[in-house]
Amino acid sequence: MNTNDAVTTPLLSVRDLKVTFDEFVAVDGVSFDIHQGQTLAVVGESGSGKSVTALSIMRLVELGTRAKIERGEIMFRLPDATTVDLAQESESAMRGIRGNHISMIFQEPLTSLNPVYTVGNQVAEAVMAHQGVDRSEAYSRALEMFELVRIPEAKRRLKEYPHQMSGGMRQRVMIAMALSCDPTILIADEPTTALDVTIQAQILGLMRDLQSETDAAVMLITHDMGVVAEVADDVLVMNRSKMVEQNNVYDIFEHPSEEYTKALLAAVPRLGSMAGTSEPARFNLVGDR
Amino acid sequence: MTDLFMMDAETAPQVKGQALKLFVRNRAAVLGLIMLIGIFVMTFVVPIWYVKDPGDLIARPHLKPGSPDAPLLGTDNLGRDLLAVIVYGGRTTLSVATGAAALIVFVGVSIGAAAGYYGRWVDAALMRFTEFFQVLPGLLFAIVVVALFEPSFWTITFAIGSVSWPGIARLTRAEFLRLKNLEFVKAARAIGSSDFRIITRVILPNALPTLIVSSTLIMGSAILFEAGLAFLGLADVNNPSWGLAIGRGREAFTINWWAVTFPGLAIFFTVLGLSLVGDGLQDAFNPKLRGR
Repeated sequence: MNTNDAVTTPLLSVRDLKVTFDEFVAVDGVSFDIHQGQTLAVVGESGSGKSVTALSIMRLVELGTRAKIERGEIMFRLPDATTVDLAQESESAMRGIRGNHISMIFQEPLTSLNPVYTVGNQVAEAVMAHQGVDRSEAYSRALEMFELVRIPEAKRRLKEYPHQMSGGMRQRVMIAMALSCDPTILIADEPTTALDVTIQAQILGLMRDLQSETDAAVMLITHDMGVVAEVADDVLVMNRSKMVEQNNVYDIFEHPSEEYTKALLAAVPRLGSMAGTSEPARFNLVGDR
Repeated sequence: MTDLFMMDAETAPQVKGQALKLFVRNRAAVLGLIMLIGIFVMTFVVPIWYVKDPGDLIARPHLKPGSPDAPLLGTDNLGRDLLAVIVYGGRTTLSVATGAAALIVFVGVSIGAAAGYYGRWVDAALMRFTEFFQVLPGLLFAIVVVALFEPSFWTITFAIGSVSWPGIARLTRAEFLRLKNLEFVKAARAIGSSDFRIITRVILPNALPTLIVSSTLIMGSAILFEAGLAFLGLADVNNPSWGLAIGRGREAFTINWWAVTFPGLAIFFTVLGLSLVGDGLQDAFNPKLRGR
């Protein structure tokens, strides 16, 4: 395999994924590729199956729920160039992949950290679990990660408990934890939804910087088209468990081919679009076609 | 506890200091701690110089405290030194209670954690098993167990432990049901933690405040249980205990009030002290109160 192949062969390739909760089909026939160093944005309204798709890749969807991956394959290329189907892997094999090769950050930084441990301890634990280093080495790695995600006064912050930090800082800690073992894919499930707009911009900027530094692939789940325009390379639009459209970010924004995508884009208010009107006007909702 | 909270060398003193401050701020807890220290000194330090055999018949029976020739707390129905009975009896009572409480917490937390965490058929099977023990009349079952075997330290500890664990199992299960779907548990799974690690290191520390408080209460109820069994005569007669002393003094209660009152007060202060300390520990281990 030459280097050109390594770039064009996708890191993760999902084909015809179908996930059900008893009778309900949560994800139906979704296929997409994620390439190294690229960002795939998965957009769609609530309940469209975005998060279930992400959790299926991690194989976390079946734990504690009645969900089932009915069919489809999730081909993942390991760093040693062998390819495994994550849909078929055993739970113990998945534990080696989670965190090590594929990491995930969640929507709620307020509840994603364990309240009884210091944040430094939690990052160090993640490092120790995967890299088999001792405690002091894990702590220095945690400090390194804190500096990488631009947490000011990193050394002091290591010793704080989650409730002593702001939402933006906690999301940075989550990112630090997710990146602590150099994963090749980072799945971010609405990482900025719970944060206010200025912090959102900081976190997105940080993720973009880190991506170029670490060359990781990112799967970004969001319903915010502004975020998509900001960071994505490719876009997958989902609605009602099915994929609607998949294309690169320029084509999606310039000439969306599906009605639903157009409606989704039209739902984003534009600054100045109401210039000259004196009364506030209602926007059309995505559902009112 | 320090291990469970896994503090590194530098933060440990700070957090411990805060925990201590929170504990001390709760006056009732300090009072409880003083009671427990008093009981501890009485049962483990006093015997160093108050060397007596609590089985010896040293004077006439029913000697009132304060009467001539009487030991400090008087004598019981056979003329034993009541102070020696209480001092040496505390060892039996406290070690049975500690052993039983440890057994209860270990069995209860293990079963409750497995049921709550794994859910489905594991939960169903373990909870039916728990209910089986819960519907047994506790004292009767314990009496049968002790009566079947020789009453000894181990059989009594086992009897108390085997009937009292369902409560803490259900409490642990409830805590696990509450905690297992929180985001940080999902996050721990997403970084590849094993089930065992999630149960012991991620969820359990969050359930600790509740479990610590109920463990201290369980310790108190184990003391009462042991006293109850001993009162009914189901005790190792060669080892004095508080319950046994009350049981023996019961028949002569009208002429000898002190033989039941003093061991009763010993039980009362121990159980009350444990409850108050448990309450203080709840404050001390609550990370949300730290740094305020």
